[in-house]
Amino acid sequence: MPALILNALKILFLILIFLFLWQAALAIRSHIGTGPSLRRTKGGRELVVLRGDAKRGTTVRLRPSGHTIGRSPDADVVIDDPYASELHARVESHDASTLVHDLGSTNGTYVNGRRITAPTPAGQGDTVQIGKTILEVR
Amino acid sequence: MTRNTEAVFILAATVLASVGVAMVQFAGGVWLDSEVALTFVSFALAFGALHVAFRLWAPNANTMILPIAAFLTALGTIEVFRIDPELAALQRWWLVFAGAAGAAIVWLLRSSGVAVLRRYRYLFLAAAMVLLMLPLLPESWPMHGAVVNGSRLWVRIDLPFAARDLSFQPGEVAKVFLTVFLASYLADRSEAMSTVSRKVGPFRIPEPRHLGPIIVAAGVAFIVLVYQRDLGASLLLFGLFVGMLYVATGRGFYLGMGLALVTVAGLTAFAMFSHVQVRIEAWLNPFADYAGSGYQTAQGLFAMGSGSLTGSGLGLGRPDLIPAAATDFVFAAIGEELGLAGSIAVIVGYAFLVAIGFGIALRSRDRFRKYLAAGLTILLGLQTFLIIAGIVRLFPITGITLPFMSYGGSSLLASAMIAALLGRISHEERT
Repeated sequence: MPALILNALKILFLILIFLFLWQAALAIRSHIGTGPSLRRTKGGRELVVLRGDAKRGTTVRLRPSGHTIGRSPDADVVIDDPYASELHARVESHDASTLVHDLGSTNGTYVNGRRITAPTPAGQGDTVQIGKTILEVR
Repeated sequence: MTRNTEAVFILAATVLASVGVAMVQFAGGVWLDSEVALTFVSFALAFGALHVAFRLWAPNANTMILPIAAFLTALGTIEVFRIDPELAALQRWWLVFAGAAGAAIVWLLRSSGVAVLRRYRYLFLAAAMVLLMLPLLPESWPMHGAVVNGSRLWVRIDLPFAARDLSFQPGEVAKVFLTVFLASYLADRSEAMSTVSRKVGPFRIPEPRHLGPIIVAAGVAFIVLVYQRDLGASLLLFGLFVGMLYVATGRGFYLGMGLALVTVAGLTAFAMFSHVQVRIEAWLNPFADYAGSGYQTAQGLFAMGSGSLTGSGLGLGRPDLIPAAATDFVFAAIGEELGLAGSIAVIVGYAFLVAIGFGIALRSRDRFRKYLAAGLTILLGLQTFLIIAGIVRLFPITGITLPFMSYGGSSLLASAMIAALLGRISHEERT
């Protein structure tokens, strides 16, 4: 009889442990969902890397608040390109159009092959060149 | 998720620890005595202090760090109590002390933030080096190094007024200091270190002068190995350096070079030092010298084997037959008494902590904080991996503690420091 009780207690304790972990997992999941860097907007535009050193084919979904693009780890979109500046350009996605700003980069930002001097709109299929990396708006 | 949820989780872990201790006693025929209450009180004090500190001085900190830490500490405390109630009584004091120290860290950083640590990096480096060298103090001094199980990593202070001398393992805290130094150093240099300018054959390598730190790292790790005969700490330190270099530069080259250096150093150590050869032999053939060098590993394997799926039940196995069951081999003791199920729960707990830590690092906007969070997480994860891998014979036994779970004040202190720093970093990301 005591063996039975001890066995039951053991199983009960293991159930308690996993119950704790299960609840913890749920709590951690809800954390991840609210992270600002992972928030996505549905049906928005995206930037696709067409040509570049390391991250060909990478897709970045544009969010309304915009992204900074550059070589610095502090940029929202980090591109591994020696010709890009630390914080090279900023892309904002508005309802109808996407605006590209150059952030005073050394080698300039090009929209459809033309160097931009002021915030320039880029629509579907336009290309944005930063350093040697070429991105397409889709 | 709010701080109230955190409080509920901490309370649940506290109850879990108390229930576990009560079950150990019940199995031994004792029906609820002061030990259960004392366990409850020590947990409530330690994690309560950390929780209140987070509430007051880091209100936006990640709320799941403390619950998981409390959960792991609870399982560890139960098993330590099971193996040696006297050690568990000491462990309660260590726990309260570690909780107070963690809370103190949160308080110290309340207005300046972790950024203040960045400015004092050479102080941290010096402190870490002094701490690492402390065990080499001569035996005749009142504060002296001591050799335990063939490794010289303990410092003992002879207290004239107390029967018990005070001993600690300074390397545990040194690791955290080194992480702070590395994060600060790399936050300033990662730019230069990640530019690859030269090509040698198919490999693109950084400027040779940027290889300095990794070579220094290998040197420090090797010195620790040679003078303190501490395989675990040297591997852990080196892994930490290489991991942080990789995080900071994003260059796989550093990982490759680290692996190559570890291989070379490992082979050299194997050829040069008898204690390394003994470890490797005990790893490959623990039953060849069952009564001698393979004894610990073999006993650990027997313990886990007899534990089977759900274990013998708390207080019903014989984990006390494993040498160092309360410290390095606490995972094997869990495997015996709670079985595979309990072992998996422990590993899941660590996986959660590592996931939370890297999540904090990924979300950090500041380089120093990013590297610090990543470094602390690497430290925690690598240490856990090395010792558990040693116990299940995936890797030679390294003789390091399991964070949060093993008996030991220095280990608990270091773990609480990591939890407090991660909490503070996550707080700064959301403000």
